[in-house]
Amino acid sequence: MSGASMPGVGTWALCRRLFGLMRQQRRWMLLGLALAVLSALSGIGLLAVSGHFITSMALVGAGGAAINYYTPAALIRLFAIVRTGGRYAERLVTHEATLRMLARLRVWLFGRLVPLAPAALGELRSAELFSRLRSDVDALEHAYLGVLIPLLGALVVVLVVVVVSALYLPALGLPLLLFFLFGAVWLPRWALRRGRAPGEIVVACDEAMRELVSDGLRGRAELALYGAEDAHAAQMTAVAARQRKAQRQLDRLQALGSASVLLTAQLAAVCSLILGLSALRGGGLGGPDLVMLVLLVPAAFEAVTPLPEAWAQLGATLASARRVFDLADTPVPVPDPVASSPTIHQHDLCLRAVRLRYADNGPWALDGVDLDLPQGRRIALVGASGAGKSSLVAALTRLYPCTGSITLGGTPLHAWRGDDLLAQIAVVEQRPYLFDASLRDNLCLARPEASEAELERVIQLAQLGGYVVALPQGLRTWVGEDGVRVSGGEARRIAIARALLVDPPILVLDEPTEGLDAGTVAQLYTALDAAMHGRSVLLVTHRLGHLAQLVDEVATMRDGRIVACVAVASYLAQQSSQALHAPPAVDGRTRVPIRDVRL
Amino acid sequence: MTVSTSSWLREQARPVRRLLAAGVAAGGAQAVLLCVGAWLIAWVLARAVLAGRGLGDLWSAVAALVAIALARFALGLWQRRATFEAGAQVGERVRRALEQRLRQLGPGWAAQQSRGDIVTRSVDGVQALVPYYAGYLPQVALTAVIPVVILLAALPADPWSALILLLTAPLVPLFMILVGGAAERASQRRWSRLRRLGARFMDALAGLTTLRLCRATGREAALLAATGEAYRKETMAVLRIAFLSALVLEFFATVSIAVLAVLLGFRLMWGTLGFEQGLFVLLLAPELFLPLRALGTQRHLRMEAAAAAEDLVALLAEPVTGTASGPTSPPRASLASQHIALTFEGVSFGYEPDRQVLRELDLVVEAGTMLTLVGASGSGKSTLFNLLLGFATSQAGRILVNGRDLAALDLLAWRKHISWVSQRAHVFHGSLRDNLMIAAPDSDETRLRRALKAAALPEVVARLPQGLDTPLGEHGHGLSGGERQRLALARAWLRDTPVLLLDEPTQHLDAATAALIDAAVAALAVGRTVIRIAHRLDHLAEDARVAVLADGLIVESGRVAELRAARGAFARLLAADLAA
Repeated sequence: MSGASMPGVGTWALCRRLFGLMRQQRRWMLLGLALAVLSALSGIGLLAVSGHFITSMALVGAGGAAINYYTPAALIRLFAIVRTGGRYAERLVTHEATLRMLARLRVWLFGRLVPLAPAALGELRSAELFSRLRSDVDALEHAYLGVLIPLLGALVVVLVVVVVSALYLPALGLPLLLFFLFGAVWLPRWALRRGRAPGEIVVACDEAMRELVSDGLRGRAELALYGAEDAHAAQMTAVAARQRKAQRQLDRLQALGSASVLLTAQLAAVCSLILGLSALRGGGLGGPDLVMLVLLVPAAFEAVTPLPEAWAQLGATLASARRVFDLADTPVPVPDPVASSPTIHQHDLCLRAVRLRYADNGPWALDGVDLDLPQGRRIALVGASGAGKSSLVAALTRLYPCTGSITLGGTPLHAWRGDDLLAQIAVVEQRPYLFDASLRDNLCLARPEASEAELERVIQLAQLGGYVVALPQGLRTWVGEDGVRVSGGEARRIAIARALLVDPPILVLDEPTEGLDAGTVAQLYTALDAAMHGRSVLLVTHRLGHLAQLVDEVATMRDGRIVACVAVASYLAQQSSQALHAPPAVDGRTRVPIRDVRL
Repeated sequence: MTVSTSSWLREQARPVRRLLAAGVAAGGAQAVLLCVGAWLIAWVLARAVLAGRGLGDLWSAVAALVAIALARFALGLWQRRATFEAGAQVGERVRRALEQRLRQLGPGWAAQQSRGDIVTRSVDGVQALVPYYAGYLPQVALTAVIPVVILLAALPADPWSALILLLTAPLVPLFMILVGGAAERASQRRWSRLRRLGARFMDALAGLTTLRLCRATGREAALLAATGEAYRKETMAVLRIAFLSALVLEFFATVSIAVLAVLLGFRLMWGTLGFEQGLFVLLLAPELFLPLRALGTQRHLRMEAAAAAEDLVALLAEPVTGTASGPTSPPRASLASQHIALTFEGVSFGYEPDRQVLRELDLVVEAGTMLTLVGASGSGKSTLFNLLLGFATSQAGRILVNGRDLAALDLLAWRKHISWVSQRAHVFHGSLRDNLMIAAPDSDETRLRRALKAAALPEVVARLPQGLDTPLGEHGHGLSGGERQRLALARAWLRDTPVLLLDEPTQHLDAATAALIDAAVAALAVGRTVIRIAHRLDHLAEDARVAVLADGLIVESGRVAELRAARGAFARLLAADLAA
């Protein structure tokens, strides 16, 4: 083995950690390995003993001394049975081990990722990284079946075959070992190294192709208008050609690898034939033993055949493991306190000089926010996009680290455990996630024990009554990826119903009326006003219609600060007077007003 | 797999059948060489063991063995080469067909598709087809060819053994079909459940923030553990049956060798068979079952290709509706004027036959003037743009460009006269420079700089680490909504066309950005024929010329001040707008 192919120390630590995760399934895994080795050896033994047996019998037939043919005949039957049953048992046991590991791995990873969301998992929102995590988890799940079993299985089988051959013909031991090392280790690893560069090109082209297809879909109008469709198609053809060239190289390498293993097996057989013929002449080896060896050697190479794939998998698996562990080891952005959460008797929320940013050196999304939301007060938070409205919501949920002081009922927010805090503050996200589950499951997410009557109440409150009635399967309707499509407005109302089911002292809504018509907004606000009687509401919005039905005050945000907080009536009066007196034109009569002035 | 899918899959193989045949021929030749090699080994061993011959007498046979090994090596490489090309060619052909199709379906169709879905279908889908032609199909043929070659070789050596192999070999597929039918269905069910379980896990990860906000993470973790465990038990019950088909294959492969070996042994002892022939048959026996085993490991390729083909066939069969004819249309008259007047004469259009979006619409836009279109959403404003851009063709009536019918103009040449500032300009993968150059490929550096300045973009360029050459898009630095607007304006400035179509943003921009865009639009509009779609009415200049679109017709037109006073459709829209 060349030095370059030796895995480094970091790799060993990685392997140890990866297989440490699988420790609980150790017995199943070892049993699976034992069965794999046993059935492989039985298959080889069957051929070798058969060769030995017919040669002995032929010698008897040619006038030699009678032999005990019961033992080899029985061995042949035994090997056939062990081979057949062993393969079946091996498959069952290795799959059992894999399935046990799979369940454990997912629960482990989920537990590690929960405290990281969303602050430390920001990048997971990108579809590309998310799909990489998916394939990484897939790779780890198949580490045992696809990597460990073939590699360790081949190792044991090869060692047994070399030792057995050397016992019959000592001169054969070393050459055979070299043939195996060449076919099982050097050759696949050489092909792997040579394949790295074209492999990278294939991946890069794949990425480029996805981007081009995506551009061709989303930018089709521009391409057509600019007359760039031919150029775009030519670009795709060029990328496809480059990818095909790299794939061709990879395929040649793979073909070379598997053809070489076959060639090595045949050359090893010829080598044992040559050495055996000399030994036979010298009397050191019996005729049946020679035939046995010639059959044994190529049969043993069957264990080597899956190795190129296994070596390739090993590299990919370790890379996946490294990424997954790196992700799982990310420091928790907002750790839960060890002590239990404080008990409070009122729900005044008070923010002082709160600052928050999403990247260490990024701009401040909140830059010194002061806000009071006494129990029972309803405040609307308005401001242009990017002013920091949603960041303020994020700060209240304790999902992102922030500086300054936030207190709830006089106790600092950081003394609260996340789950306890969110029982006090229910949040309706701007883009709520709907799970691939029934509508009922999506509604009951925060309170699975909710009764039928409670569900019905919040559905009506969130103005979802008509929507649910119109669904043929009602609450059993499947939503999400595999189910009916839910519009953004419907998703938001489902999230409102979900939050109301918690019956929280404080309700925070982030743009809940986006995509709703004015009439529904009015009904929603009226319903929320009644449902939240005596409790606090923070409503992030950019629409001013019917606002007075729900809120008392309007706070305006700009550049991460609250710049004004006035009673709703005076705010609306001020806005409508601005709208009536259109702002002065920028450059006289050619001004083309294109913006919405009201915010 | 439906009939049409499987016949489509077969049809794709037709252009590459020579390559596939070459691959199968190489595989068959290897099987012949295998038989010759086995016979040489048997010959050498028989001479050595029974006749006491040494290496000196047998070296030529040993050398021939090495030569055969090398020939098999070369044939193996050649076989892979041919089948790889077959797969690659089919893949490329289908990819081009898809690209052509997406082009015909046009911008209107593209806008309605899910990006992930189309990317998956046309990239992963095509990739799933390739191994079917490169791997599975040749293997199917070889599974028929190789056993025949081996049986023909064994027959003259020992008819009895050939008979045993002949009896067991066809039994294998038979039993595999009997056991395997159920097992395959079970294993397909298992895979779909496994995918479902994996999807559920990823679903939980994607919605992790929502789960946290709903305090449901503990429950979800318990659920993941429980479903994983339940799935394991259920799956193992299925696997016990699913693996039976492999058990059958293994059973026949091993038992036939064992039976053969024992029978051969006794017939050799009785002297009714030559050792050379017996050993030859024993060497061949395991090879008989190898192609079947290889086919078993490749069966998933067929399933994956069939699934992909189903998606692809659906996409290729997507009907083209209301779109202008593709690049195959005959050359038409071109237009060369810098002053363009637009006239709609009784234009009707519907995306579906029974749902008319535009109904005999009449509209005149004089050269060098600006018209603002207003109307409720769905009233046909964007459709009007699509007709002008040639993304759709009217079903009745005419659109006149300086008095000439748009339908008679060369579409590509006509489009050179239009700029279009859409609500959400697409940002192509690439740099800001690429994104500008796509609109006007022959722009030089000075023009680019001036376009950036005209669209108030220099501050954005200054923010990007590599300036104009910074990669944009999903993986690099994104552009905000307001910046995209300005990108569209810069493109329009570069194109410098007599016609400008503007679609106002509905998105909320901060005051400073809005003012920047307003000024840029105003400067760009001067002297051009401009049609503008306005989504908010409360801020139109008093002397702006407006046409109100409702139910596919222009119901009102005139200056803002007049329309407001008229208390008609415009006034009603304005009132609704103020109440929102």
